[in-house]
Amino acid sequence: MGVVFSYVFSRFTSNTPVRILMVGLDGAGKTTLLYKLKLSEVVTTIPTIGFNVETVEYKNISFTVWDVGGQTIIRPLWRHYYNNVQGLIFVIDSNDPQRLKEAANELHTMFEEEQLRDVPSLVFANKQDLPRAVPPSDITDALKLSGASRPWSVQASCAVSGSGLVEGLDWLSDQILKRN
Amino acid sequence: MKKCGWCEKRGNGSVTEHQITGSPDHQITRSRIKERLHLCSRRAKAVNLNEIQLVWNTESETGHLHHGAEPRLKDEIAEVTSEIETLGLTEERKSMQRNKQMAIGRKKFNMDPKKGIRFLIDTSLLKSTSDEIAKFLYKGEGLNKTAIGEYLGERDDFNIAVLHAFLELHEFTDLNLVQALRQFLWSFRLPGEAQKIDRMMEAFAQRYCRCNPGVFQSTDTCYVLSFAVIMLNTSLHNPNVKDKPSVQRFTAMNRGINDGGDLPEDLLRNLYDSIKNEPFKIPEDDGNDLTHTFFNPDREGWLLKLGGRVKTWKRRWFILTDNCLYYFEYTTDKEPRGIIPLENLSIREVEDSKKPNCFELFIPDHKDQVIKACKTEADGRVVEGNHTFYRISAPTAEEKDEWISSIKAAISRDPFYEMLASRKKKVSSLKAL
Repeated sequence: MGVVFSYVFSRFTSNTPVRILMVGLDGAGKTTLLYKLKLSEVVTTIPTIGFNVETVEYKNISFTVWDVGGQTIIRPLWRHYYNNVQGLIFVIDSNDPQRLKEAANELHTMFEEEQLRDVPSLVFANKQDLPRAVPPSDITDALKLSGASRPWSVQASCAVSGSGLVEGLDWLSDQILKRN
Repeated sequence: MKKCGWCEKRGNGSVTEHQITGSPDHQITRSRIKERLHLCSRRAKAVNLNEIQLVWNTESETGHLHHGAEPRLKDEIAEVTSEIETLGLTEERKSMQRNKQMAIGRKKFNMDPKKGIRFLIDTSLLKSTSDEIAKFLYKGEGLNKTAIGEYLGERDDFNIAVLHAFLELHEFTDLNLVQALRQFLWSFRLPGEAQKIDRMMEAFAQRYCRCNPGVFQSTDTCYVLSFAVIMLNTSLHNPNVKDKPSVQRFTAMNRGINDGGDLPEDLLRNLYDSIKNEPFKIPEDDGNDLTHTFFNPDREGWLLKLGGRVKTWKRRWFILTDNCLYYFEYTTDKEPRGIIPLENLSIREVEDSKKPNCFELFIPDHKDQVIKACKTEADGRVVEGNHTFYRISAPTAEEKDEWISSIKAAISRDPFYEMLASRKKKVSSLKAL
């Protein structure tokens, strides 16, 4: 009964809530991206002390995006938030090739998390507007994505101008709808 | 010793008559420049950097200088001038000037923390050590707490050192974890990025455990628990989080964080209740409004101002501070109707056929140029001003004189600005060759 109900719920209500994690190294552009994702929504939220969390309404899906991260020792805490996560957004600073390897390690650490095993993962190759940005194809190689056993996509973006964000969200929402 | 040529020639001689030549036979030594300038400042109470600049430009344009001497001599002139400037100032004026610079530094900090700190260090108002910067942030006078949080959250080693020094200034002895966190999170606005929160909680835990030895088995336990408390505050109170955790979930989350063991359940329950009943407060800002700007102005009062396009007289409340003239519709207005930066403007008395006691702000030598200023339209939009001059009428002759002398004192030709302008001129003249 519960199963049927939740199926009906997710199928027919206008706003299916979906939990998304956003990961990436310091300075990759997560915060800018998060607030740009809200597009032209005018929202008056009460400010809260704590992590950046935003809800983004897109194609009848209500994405709740959490800024997640920190050192190894606090990872177990986040695992409690991995339940029912339906998407992963990974943000890369394309203009910082020195830290690509570190970013790749971070990404694969997330991929190894049991609860995130099959979760569709969207990579924003961010800061593509900068002249020395590594192209998305090279980023795909550096992140060793081709072997990943999950739906993934690398999307070129510029969080400051907002370019590429809609395309990324399109891909992610299609993946989520397919699964439901 | 020769007489000071500049003072005598002031006002009547042509510029070339006061040459400081850079040619070998006339090479002026540093001490002689100093002597001359000192005499000037004593006799004319004026530091004639402008004249030096003028001479300088003439020199460099006519190519009289031999090249090796140029930058050195120029630097020395600037240095000596600033020394003499300091010498000529009374202690009172010196402290006034420092206060002004401090106010500018604070404003810069609130807009861009790194630039603000650099400015304060460059103007010798702040020492470039993590301890001194931490003290400045902790005191927080006139600083925006979001800006403080931004500075403390940076990944740089130096910023991290400041973060740790900042925590050393906090006293957490005998406070429980949540009380200590409340105190800490009141001193700046916690940024929302997970990595920044992570660094801050790690630094917090180290300080907390040093103040309260024996409360936690290890600093790491305290660090993980503090991080979990921030997660809890976010989950319980951020309206974007729909799924609110129960106390059971919070307890489950913190299983095994005590070096593999569990923390006492009532400790976790107390933490949970405390955060649930009272979220962390958004710290009140000290640098968020303009109150600081308009506090303690050089002069304030009612004046009449002639419109820029429509030539009508409007009564406005004027405030002179920070080398700017602000005007308001009412004395109680929080934000000004208009702002006139006084940089590079001049002031003179004028006769007006309609109003008494008038004076005018204008750009010397550029009669038709619009003065750099802004004003707020009735609909709230901030637009550029449209005055080529500001004509202002004071209620009495005395007030007019007082305003003129205060504004004259405030109009400071920034020597750096002039130096930069002359350097630009020099570069372009070199290019022309």
